[in-house]
Amino acid sequence: MTEQQDIKAFFSREIEENMNALYGTALRLSRTDADAEDLVAESVAKAWSAVETLQDRGRFRPWIFRILHNCSVNSYRRRSARPTETPFENEEDDGLVALLNGQSDEFLFWWANPERHFFNNVLGDAIMSAIEGIPEVFRTTILLINVEGLTYDEAAEATGVPPGTIRSRMKRGRTMLQKALWEQAREAGIVVVNDANRNDK
Amino acid sequence: MKSTKETDKHGDIGCLDAIEVFYSYFDGEISDPKLIADFEHHLEHCRSCFSRAEVEKLVTERLRKSANRQAPKELRSRIRQLMDEY
Repeated sequence: MTEQQDIKAFFSREIEENMNALYGTALRLSRTDADAEDLVAESVAKAWSAVETLQDRGRFRPWIFRILHNCSVNSYRRRSARPTETPFENEEDDGLVALLNGQSDEFLFWWANPERHFFNNVLGDAIMSAIEGIPEVFRTTILLINVEGLTYDEAAEATGVPPGTIRSRMKRGRTMLQKALWEQAREAGIVVVNDANRNDK
Repeated sequence: MKSTKETDKHGDIGCLDAIEVFYSYFDGEISDPKLIADFEHHLEHCRSCFSRAEVEKLVTERLRKSANRQAPKELRSRIRQLMDEY
């Protein structure tokens, strides 16, 4: 096998293994099936043209996700179909406790004691709606790590930010997700928090 | 009322410390064995944090199930064609 054949075999195998993850991520970045497929195809083409720059084959996963991420950003800019995401201010790691201290007592209580009915019957539908509602940088971070299984270092490499920012985004994003779920549960009439049921628990 | 503002201490770390490392722990991002042991000890003895941990694990599990997508056959075929051209 020539070196070129070896590279192509490696590349094809990695793309095949990561196809579902790439498509899932692309779908959430582009929101339509057709756009997601175009995004994956464009990313694979770009990756192949740059495969010589991949110095460590063990880093293929974060490398291809970085290309996917860049293609997505460029696609938005080209089409201007969507306003540029406003950078989230004050993104330094100010700690989960500090974040939670800014939340209402009702939310904090529910966070530790959610109704089982909500998780058994509603969460499956509600969770995708909740994740779609949080800012993109946090949504992408959560999905790369919790769904696609990237490590914090890999997610940092894939999105072009320091690992500390990923750590901070995970804390903030998951808190936002919990808050969104709580609000959905309230709107559905599942959460009824008052002094009486607090004392029951 | 128990809340995340509590400072109950079980072992070497309290609730506030435990909450700070919640996601890092469940995402397998803590390498310090003592911190792992302290966190696990805390969960074993703190009902409130144990409950929060169960919720977080459930949310992650449901998220993984709900968000996992299979690439369409058409896309796989398109990519294979693309690779054949190289």
